[in-house]
Amino acid sequence: MLTVSRKSERLVNLTIALLATKRYLTKTEIFNSVDGYEGTAETKERMFERDKDDLRSLGIEIEVGSFDPLFNDEAGYKIKQEKYQFELGDISSTEVALLSLAAEAWQEASFGDVAQSALLKLRSIGIPSDELSIPVSVHKLNDGGQDLSLITKAIAQSQLLTFSYLDSSLSIEMRSVVPIALSTRNGLWYLSGVDQEIQEIRTFRIDRVSSEITASKGPSDFESPTGFDPRKALFESPTHDFALIDVRVGKAASLRALAVSAQSLGEWDQVKIPILNLDSLCSLVLWHGPDAFVQKPAELRELVIDHLESLVKNHG
Amino acid sequence: MAKKISAPLERTARLLDLVPYISSHQGISLKELAHVFKVDQAQMTSDLTTLWMCGLPGYTPLELMDLDFESGFVTIHNAETLSKPRSISFDEGVALVLGLDLLRSAISSERTDLLERIDLLSQRLAGLIKLPSALSATSLINQEVSAAISEAMRSKMGLQITYHSLYRDEVSTRVIFPIEMVERDGHLYLSSYCYSAADFREFRIDRIQSAALHAVLQEIPKSSTQPSRFTATIKVLDPTRAIAERFNQSELPVNSEFDFETFSIQWMERSIMASGRAVCLQSPPEVRKSISVMAQSMLDRYKAR
Repeated sequence: MLTVSRKSERLVNLTIALLATKRYLTKTEIFNSVDGYEGTAETKERMFERDKDDLRSLGIEIEVGSFDPLFNDEAGYKIKQEKYQFELGDISSTEVALLSLAAEAWQEASFGDVAQSALLKLRSIGIPSDELSIPVSVHKLNDGGQDLSLITKAIAQSQLLTFSYLDSSLSIEMRSVVPIALSTRNGLWYLSGVDQEIQEIRTFRIDRVSSEITASKGPSDFESPTGFDPRKALFESPTHDFALIDVRVGKAASLRALAVSAQSLGEWDQVKIPILNLDSLCSLVLWHGPDAFVQKPAELRELVIDHLESLVKNHG
Repeated sequence: MAKKISAPLERTARLLDLVPYISSHQGISLKELAHVFKVDQAQMTSDLTTLWMCGLPGYTPLELMDLDFESGFVTIHNAETLSKPRSISFDEGVALVLGLDLLRSAISSERTDLLERIDLLSQRLAGLIKLPSALSATSLINQEVSAAISEAMRSKMGLQITYHSLYRDEVSTRVIFPIEMVERDGHLYLSSYCYSAADFREFRIDRIQSAALHAVLQEIPKSSTQPSRFTATIKVLDPTRAIAERFNQSELPVNSEFDFETFSIQWMERSIMASGRAVCLQSPPEVRKSISVMAQSMLDRYKAR
């Protein structure tokens, strides 16, 4: 316990000294003035190297500089205030409240620990949070056990992610993807990226990843596609193909929910639905049985008829 | 998961974060401070003692931080160097950006003032952690519905809901007594006693179209029975991921059979229909029969044109 305490104390003192100084401090100055550097010159040197690494792992960057660029002086060290501090600029109590609600959205035991430490920093800014002024009930975010840190770092650095994925024909295939976006919708997580094999953007549901996700150096010539909006990729149709489907009045609400327009035909309504995936739309039409009838396109009609023939044959 | 750091480093981080927290909460009790930093009071006292010995080189009383906690309430002075909170880490930034986006999806679109602030904050945070704006979080659950559910659960009230049942494919109005919220397969369900069905039921929250508080008899009849269950035997013809997920199966060898239990014959029929040629229902025979009749009549209609 004593050594733990000594080390923490030295690191705090080093941080204070390097933050408070206006000019770069040499190692000799640090060893002479900062409490806790003891032993031979070599020991102190080793301690200092460890301490620099340790502070870096806490996100504290020590700048190396020299007193006079014209001379080959001994290197000096300092920590820049603007890099050490949480700089959000001028911030109002409403903004602190929004950030606090954002941190509180995380469920405990997931990314929640990280969100809690962010919340602590927000509370330390010293501006009261005005959460009651925001009329909202926020749902919980849960990382579902996924390594969000690995994925978001890979997005920031255009790394290559490799994993095996359960595809729609139930076979498991290796995928290599340079990720460009991470999204969550109602508790499920989605990763979008450029699939390296086909060089096209694909979106993967992360709970269908059947292996560890590994990150490695991405292709050096990677250029992130511009204008990609994860929200649109998930919720809006990129297609110009539409199906026309007759649905019985008061029925087939889940087909109606997908419609971009509807027209009344008396006992039936005709809805226009964007086709994202022919198989899943076919399945939804079949789910609604005699309450849904495909008018167009012929491709979807044929698929439905094909399945109906099998259903009759298999159950007759 | 956040990377785990060693005990002395964890403590160093806590010591550094204590200074701005105390500076902005002068006079906070030792007990509350320990609670905020998730350590016991003995550890907090030890942390404060260590901090008390820290300061600027020179380490004379003038250069040390002026920390007082003997009374059980903590104040700090002469700590300007560390009085601002530390910059946020990459992971903390990610958590906040995602949280803000979720918040955006829950705020009424009329509050453009709040929505604009969220966008600005999110851009500033993304700038701080050097992350391209590539994160999004949404929850499609109606805010008025979730607010009414929370209120009903808090005040032990009933709810009148309109619910879209996917099995029956109809919208019904029911009076329920909410018991708990459960999450399964990415969906939130409200486990409730349903007075309209005189039984316990689960409702998928994103399918509740409206909800309003409603006075109910708080006593839930004890004699209510478990919903009756049906077992289907299903044969796999053409394995697909959609089938595996619909029937909750991890492996689907061709020509194998599995049993599936459900409380709704309608769900069973619809699921088999939606699966098309991929599966074949072996039993119960009456459901087999109705599927073949339904499929034939639909086929006749397609062929009539």
